[in-house]
Amino acid sequence: MIQSGKPRRHSSDRSAISVCAAGILLLMVLAQSAVWFYAPVERSLGPVQKIFYMHLPLAWWAFVAFFLVFVGSIGYLWRRSEAFDHLAAASAEIGVLFSTLVLLTGMLWARASWNTWWTWDPRLSTALVMWFIYCGYLVLRNAAVREKGKLLCAVLGIVAFADVPLVFLSARLLRSIHPAVIADKRGGLPEEMWLTLLVCLAAWGGLFAVLLRLRVSQVALKAGLDMACRDR
Amino acid sequence: MHRLVLITGKDLRLLFFGGQGAVQAALLGLLLIFVFSLAQTQTGPLPAEWLAAVFWLSSSLGLVLIFNDLYALEETNAARIGLLMAPLPQQLIWLSKGLAGLIMLLLLQAVLLPATAVFLGLRSLPAPGLLLASLAVVDWGLVALGSLIGAVGQGHTGRDSLLTIVLLPLLMPLLIAGIRLGGALLGGRDMGHMAEWFGLAGAFDAVFTGLALLLFPLVYSES
Repeated sequence: MIQSGKPRRHSSDRSAISVCAAGILLLMVLAQSAVWFYAPVERSLGPVQKIFYMHLPLAWWAFVAFFLVFVGSIGYLWRRSEAFDHLAAASAEIGVLFSTLVLLTGMLWARASWNTWWTWDPRLSTALVMWFIYCGYLVLRNAAVREKGKLLCAVLGIVAFADVPLVFLSARLLRSIHPAVIADKRGGLPEEMWLTLLVCLAAWGGLFAVLLRLRVSQVALKAGLDMACRDR
Repeated sequence: MHRLVLITGKDLRLLFFGGQGAVQAALLGLLLIFVFSLAQTQTGPLPAEWLAAVFWLSSSLGLVLIFNDLYALEETNAARIGLLMAPLPQQLIWLSKGLAGLIMLLLLQAVLLPATAVFLGLRSLPAPGLLLASLAVVDWGLVALGSLIGAVGQGHTGRDSLLTIVLLPLLMPLLIAGIRLGGALLGGRDMGHMAEWFGLAGAFDAVFTGLALLLFPLVYSES
């Protein structure tokens, strides 16, 4: 039986998400304006370098998403709370989506700057390996529907994240042609580029947060409906 | 120790006298090596790293079949409940499955290594000590994670494909190390600068042995 307070809560959640989404839209417009009208055109690469303002924030937030899968997995094992499982599920989906975009934008950038769509570069390969790992995680999530499935997914969420530093280390041991953007102080970026990057990071971070909130509530709703169907 | 030997022996006996996984793994590995040998041209031998990559790919796919078989042994007649009720720590089950898997993997590699040399044109034999050290450090990582993920796949109908999709990407750092070490060994190059790859494989072994000991009791259950 649905409690009388729940629809009202869902409705207020929806309006809060709508307000946040509107704010993110404005921030995204500001970020794109900064990318195209404020940040200078890079001398050697030209306008194609502007992919960087999308590529780097997506990569960072994808990594945050995978970290949240780890946090959610530990939380689930510790507390056996459904909320942690939903957080892990939603984060994995958004992390895979963002890292897909990272790979696609990276390939476009590589074509323009290195004259190849794909090369055996450790960082590219690391991103691809992480994409494979979390696609595998999502496959397991869809395959494991029983109660034990959540437990298995939590274990895999921890194992997958433990693998990330090793993947990165193996990549570092090989020679990289990928630019280390933030390796030194401000990465040698001019002030305008740095500010634009920060605005883009905030905009993509906001989008990530809204998507995560929305997806967590959808996953929770689906779990509730599945349980109601099973109980009938 | 006695109980470890008992369970490992039981698994090996069941695999040798009834399991299909090891035979399938050997056939699949040989088939892969043969198909890759078709890529050879008249101009020269394949690079040593390619040989190592084919060898480790065949070994990894074989590993999936081996652990698939090892964890399927207790699925008939609810034998898993018997194993869980036995007065032993659950980590011992992981270790015994890992040991049985390691023995099967080494037997598989005893077939795959000569096949790689014959079909892919290995010119000189690597130093046995370094070869064994490389095999040991990479193989332990393979079975440590294989034994944990094998337990994750238990009870699923599409277990083989699920294990392949989940396990292979996780093994990637170890496979890269294996390919680099194997490339240097098979290519007869100086192994002096290979210490970092040994270190990486060792770190992988340590991380996943620790995690498996911690997480295996959660994964291996009666349902």
